[in-house]
Amino acid sequence: MPVLRSSSPYDYSASQERSGVGGYPLFFVYLKPHNLLRISLGLFIIIAGLAFCIWYSRHGSDPTPDSLVGLSYAVVGTVFLLLAGLLYSLRRRSRKSKKVIGGLRSALGWHMFFGLTGLALIFYHSFGNFNPRSGTYALYGLIALVISGIIGRALDRIMPRLIAKEASKALTVEGEDRIEAISQQLQAIVEHNSQRVRGLTPSPASASSALSSAAERGGPGRGRTLHGPWDLAYLTLEETPQELSRYEPSYRLVPDRKSPLSQPGALLPGAQEQIAALRRIERALQREQFYRYVIRYWRIFHILLALVTAGLVIWHLEYAASLVIPTLFH
Amino acid sequence: MRNPVLLHKTASQVQQELEACIGCNECLLACPALDEPLTIDVLNRETFGGPISAPVARFARSCYQCGACVPPCPVGLHRDAMMMWLKIRLYRSGEED
Repeated sequence: MPVLRSSSPYDYSASQERSGVGGYPLFFVYLKPHNLLRISLGLFIIIAGLAFCIWYSRHGSDPTPDSLVGLSYAVVGTVFLLLAGLLYSLRRRSRKSKKVIGGLRSALGWHMFFGLTGLALIFYHSFGNFNPRSGTYALYGLIALVISGIIGRALDRIMPRLIAKEASKALTVEGEDRIEAISQQLQAIVEHNSQRVRGLTPSPASASSALSSAAERGGPGRGRTLHGPWDLAYLTLEETPQELSRYEPSYRLVPDRKSPLSQPGALLPGAQEQIAALRRIERALQREQFYRYVIRYWRIFHILLALVTAGLVIWHLEYAASLVIPTLFH
Repeated sequence: MRNPVLLHKTASQVQQELEACIGCNECLLACPALDEPLTIDVLNRETFGGPISAPVARFARSCYQCGACVPPCPVGLHRDAMMMWLKIRLYRSGEED
């Protein structure tokens, strides 16, 4: 099947598409025609609402939140916010809407559109009255909610890239687990170096055979000539009670400070670098986990904030109804 | 609640999942990040290796690892892990440049 081409203005050239597209910038924006239409409509509503609000504040008869104009802003703004809250959540849960590719992305776009324009209209509804009453608290809640949504959207762009960066550190060029590869290398280094150490140290078996052959040849007091170096007859390779065998669990080699053996990694050359690489991967995995938690819990925070704001709005509506309904009946 | 800290998968695990994909498109239908028409076979083909086309690259960058694609999969695959592998490939190609 041929690769689908998009007719959008940000499309890459054919040559780029053949050779493939690469790179993952930290900040990027993809504006498609229907997104541009939504943004233009939102900006028009916000600017037109602001212009009318300013004009009415200067020349209107009653520029207050409970005037007819103020209530109109409130009703439209509340409807927009309701649509923002309900449309996307219902569409996510509905099975019918999921039958179109891109349908959920479009719903998310409208969720942002109604959230931002709804907040602007509710802000105009206040006409600059920010007395410490229920309406002001509801407005603060809405502002916090919209800001949390904007931050969440930014996190949705930034965090996955950071996750990819950290995950890339934990994988080899071929995409396999680097921890496993390093562990194997480390194991090979340890085995190699332990073999070298064993090769340098005479084993207890070889030491005892050397001693027995020396005894067979006889001691110096019997009038025979020495076949080997004279001091071998008097030296034992068995450790004294004051010494510890290197095969004892409590044995620790403590090299002299001036000895090259005291340098880091001298006993296991190459091991320190591998251990450092393992620690770097471990930190990368911890960061990856943290970024994933940020994405997930910011969404939960946004939903909780929405519930709190809904409570504040209901409280304000109850307060406003107690003021407006008697006026309407009179 | 779904476990939020399923870490990335290795290339061989991703390949196994790609081979197990039955191409039903359910993951793409449930995705809130996909903004343009894209078929699952194109995505599968370009996920593991070879050149990445512009629509697939845009989709990979837009994916925010929400995991909405995982529950609808009838064979229990992790499309989010496959998308992460695609992201890693894009990230590495950017680093090379």
